[in-house]
Amino acid sequence: MPDPQPADDVLLSSLAARDLSALAALYDRYGRLAYSLAYRILGESEAAEDVVQDAFLSAWRGAGSYRRERGNPRAWLLSIVHHRAVDILRRKTTFRPAPLEIAESLPSDQDTALAAEKNVEHRTVREALEALPQAQRRTIELAYFGGYTHVELSELMGVPLGTVKGRMRIGLQKMRRVLERTR
Amino acid sequence: MNEHVLDELEAYALGALDRADAERVAAHLALCLACRTEAASLAEVVGTLPDSVPLREPRPTLRERVLAAARVDGRPLAPVRRPWSLGRLRIERVVLAALASTVVVLAAADVGAYRQLSSLTAERDSYSLVVESLRQGGRVWYMVGKDDFAGSGGTLFDPRADGKQPFVLFHDLPPIASGKVLTVWLVSPDSTWARAATFVPDGHDVQAVQMNTGVAGFDRCAVSLDDSPWGKHGTVVMESRIAPPTPTP
Repeated sequence: MPDPQPADDVLLSSLAARDLSALAALYDRYGRLAYSLAYRILGESEAAEDVVQDAFLSAWRGAGSYRRERGNPRAWLLSIVHHRAVDILRRKTTFRPAPLEIAESLPSDQDTALAAEKNVEHRTVREALEALPQAQRRTIELAYFGGYTHVELSELMGVPLGTVKGRMRIGLQKMRRVLERTR
Repeated sequence: MNEHVLDELEAYALGALDRADAERVAAHLALCLACRTEAASLAEVVGTLPDSVPLREPRPTLRERVLAAARVDGRPLAPVRRPWSLGRLRIERVVLAALASTVVVLAAADVGAYRQLSSLTAERDSYSLVVESLRQGGRVWYMVGKDDFAGSGGTLFDPRADGKQPFVLFHDLPPIASGKVLTVWLVSPDSTWARAATFVPDGHDVQAVQMNTGVAGFDRCAVSLDDSPWGKHGTVVMESRIAPPTPTP
């Protein structure tokens, strides 16, 4: 019987002990997802690869100070990818704020994209997001993937800041309920 | 305690606050269990959003880039050339150049300053220890100046030796307006900014600034031009990046 794969927490402990094979295992587990997220945000393969490299190097360096309350290792790693990618996006001040349509069409439907994984977790999240009313979904996607602040979204969408906050709140609440039902 | 930040937690979880607001919310969360609990719950939901992304395959070379970067990062510093840090300058030359420039300026300005030479000698010896500890595995981050600070830069040295605090060696800092200060910041992987030192340029080509905190848990640094030594940061004039990989020899 093959050895079970080490848990993420175990991999992070090994990372803190400077075990390169643990980093390789973590990359094999999450490298593709990390790259897909960075690409979704940046729309450029080279920039996305730089972000992924930076994120894994951060994990390598920061594993010793990782605390569980920051989220599980997967969420922690992906949050680093997200922060880095959005940082880069926001520094491109020459084109921001981008027209809404450009930000919305940036990523996901190109021919080179692989089909989304068909496992239950991925499908559930996609369905939870797609089930939201368009305004809520668009607000959440533009904030998370488009790197827009809620103030920028208020201006871009031409709605009061309170409306943007409300769409985020209700949208995430609905997603939470759907995800809880499936667990 | 600050006011609760419940109506900003969704934007915080989505990364949709500007830096100043995100820092304010983070500071509140550190003190408020109720908001922290809600923030953790929201973060869990937001943490699923990457699963909605169509998967793409990175180039196979990315895996080796990641591993090469880590391999270099864990290696003693001395044999490694780091184009992102000091180019071809050797660390000890830069440190000693800083001390030498201090001696020259002191000598030109005031003969009485020679009395300080003995303390400078002790300081030089101290820096020698830092150089040695850097050789044994300390870290170096280079910050590049931009806009009005283009052409300047700063190297953060983390000696990782007992009793040796990190410090930044700046070069070619331009003068700043009266009443303004420069602040050195440490940035964590989740983009939390922590103040590490406040100073004003002393007009020398090279200036060393001691930091009042360690760098553990941080992976970038930056310098901002501020109106005061407290509060939110102003314009970022210099910042580092994560080290790119160095080709394996």
